[in-house]
Amino acid sequence: MIQVQQPTMQTTTAINDKREAMIHLQNVEKVYRTDTIETLALSNINLHIAKGEFLSIMGPSGCGKSTLLNIIGLLDAATKGQVLIDNQDTTHLSDKAMAQFRNKKIGFIFQSYHLINDLAVQDNVELPLLYRSSSAKERRQRSAEALQKVGLSNRMKHFPKQLSGGQKQRVAIARAIVGQPEIILADEPTGNLDSAMGDEIMNILLHLNSTEGTTIIMVTHDEYMAKKTHRLVRLFDGSQVQ
Amino acid sequence: MFRHLFKLIWNKKKENFLMITEMLVSFLVIFAVLSMTVFYYHNYRQPMGFDYEDVWVVNYSAPQSAQRGDSAMLFRQTIRQMLLSMPQIKKLSFAGSNVPFAMSTSNSNIDYNGKSVLANIYDSEISYASVLNMHLKEGRWFTQADEVSKYPPVVINEMTKEALFGKDQAVGKLIGKDNPLKVVGVVQNLKDKGDYQPVEYGMYKLMDTGSYHHASTILLKVQPGTDAAFEGKIFKQLSNAIGSSIEIEHLDKKLASKNKIFLVPAIIATIVAAFLIINVALGLFGVLWYNINKRRSEIGLRRAVGATGNSVSKQLVGEALMLSTFALIIGSFFAVQFPLLNVFDLPEGVYIIAMVLSILFIYFLVIICALYPGRQAAAIYPATALHED
Ligand SMILES: Nc1ncnc2c1ncn2[C@@H]1O[C@H](COP(=O)(O)OP(=O)(O)OP(=O)(O)O)[C@@H](O)[C@H]1O
Ligand SMILES: [Mg+2]
Repeated sequence: MIQVQQPTMQTTTAINDKREAMIHLQNVEKVYRTDTIETLALSNINLHIAKGEFLSIMGPSGCGKSTLLNIIGLLDAATKGQVLIDNQDTTHLSDKAMAQFRNKKIGFIFQSYHLINDLAVQDNVELPLLYRSSSAKERRQRSAEALQKVGLSNRMKHFPKQLSGGQKQRVAIARAIVGQPEIILADEPTGNLDSAMGDEIMNILLHLNSTEGTTIIMVTHDEYMAKKTHRLVRLFDGSQVQ
Repeated sequence: MFRHLFKLIWNKKKENFLMITEMLVSFLVIFAVLSMTVFYYHNYRQPMGFDYEDVWVVNYSAPQSAQRGDSAMLFRQTIRQMLLSMPQIKKLSFAGSNVPFAMSTSNSNIDYNGKSVLANIYDSEISYASVLNMHLKEGRWFTQADEVSKYPPVVINEMTKEALFGKDQAVGKLIGKDNPLKVVGVVQNLKDKGDYQPVEYGMYKLMDTGSYHHASTILLKVQPGTDAAFEGKIFKQLSNAIGSSIEIEHLDKKLASKNKIFLVPAIIATIVAAFLIINVALGLFGVLWYNINKRRSEIGLRRAVGATGNSVSKQLVGEALMLSTFALIIGSFFAVQFPLLNVFDLPEGVYIIAMVLSILFIYFLVIICALYPGRQAAAIYPATALHED
């Protein structure tokens, strides 16, 4: 189990939002070091995201959007600074604790779907539940529900190869929500889709945010999509510009 | 997780077919090698049943004049006295040519009560058992009185006794159909074909005037440390007495050369099998390694949805073990036919031990080959793996 620490950050944060705070990034810096070069992917990022907020992140290619999302999702560690999620300092968690944290609190959606081609749709959706204690029956039931929410109840036995891009992304959304996480991190979820399919995906996310109160952070290149969200953060060269 | 892995493997059966075949073939090769190894090891562990140290073998061919009846008897008497008069020779026995570790065999079927075995038949004398220090289990060895008994007396080995009489008493029974022979004793099995060879059915007959001409060999028990000079001396004396060339060998050297005849091909076969196994291991390792690189994005995704590095590595080892289990189930089906159909004349227990060892060996091999790729998979950085496409 994840122990919720006492909110030590209350003294350090200046947030006065009436809504409960969900994600705090403080002076986050990320440096990628290779043999020859050092890349400053993020520098001095301060970001506070409220519970239930739908935030979009924009910026030119290579400005560090994915890096930021990975750090929030505990897939990558910040070089400097603090990441607090749900009042918990995540900087010094063990591999196991981080895995549990991702499993319970976070759902990921990627531009390239990342479905496992050798597993049927429903088995793909069940995946997060495999890494927590749940019965086979419960997994079947919850994955079926998640697929219903994205309108794919009739594709449960299909394989990813038999689906269109939009359908694949809906499967990925079902997989992201099956564990009922509080946060969804979407990295260009509509990037590979035409505008009609993109709208469809966007509507599912908006619906999820409004009905279930899921906090969503979405990276996008599409101003039109970004406008539909509560707040837009712009990055430029690893720094926050807005 | 078990069902999940099963599905994953099942849905990829085409890709996995090659891997399963490779594991199956290596199982069968190892099964064959281990069957042989277990068999020969089992033989090796059997007691010799007699002493071969300081026993010399003299091969001769008796002159025409001394091959039948009284003259043969007289001939042997002369030779015997001449040899026994030398202090270096403790005991001696005339024998057929199939003395221990000799290339020659002589066998025949012996029957009792509807049962029949093909047994080695040894022509021997009263002194034969003591020259070889054979161990009597039941009854007695031949005595002077046997030379005039009604039925020709025989001594059988334990293996023959078990086959024909089971738990019943053998001593006193008549065996054979037309010319019944009377069992007077049972001796411990003699492993007289070499250290690694199986014990065979055996029956010892007492040579009489009618079968003297079978004798072509003399077994000499000499004093420990008797040297080559003495060997040269009796060589000369015997050659003169017999009037034709003779040959003197030592049982311990004969055993060594018997073993060598077995060991050389066995070692070659083992080396070939070892190369095969190394090949299979490298293949297995390569396929697993390749798999992991092909599945980086899947591994990244699993990490993202809550797998620890450890569970990723366990999953990959688990998949390999499940694949090998399929292969082993198929392989065991083939392997079990050998004892069921009695393909080669090996004891059942040999196959079963070999099967168990082969299964353990394959699992061991698979774990060894999967462990490192599995560890590498655990070290894959999820953020990077999810971003390459
Ligand atoms: N594993 C890595 N090693 C070294 N440098 C990296 C690594 N990952 C990202 N970078 C660098 O960090 C910077 C930010 O990369 P990031 O992927 O976050 O950009 P992005 O904003 O998501 O771009 P895009 O819109 O093209 O997806 C880039 O300059 C990139 O080259
Ligand atoms: Mg990106």
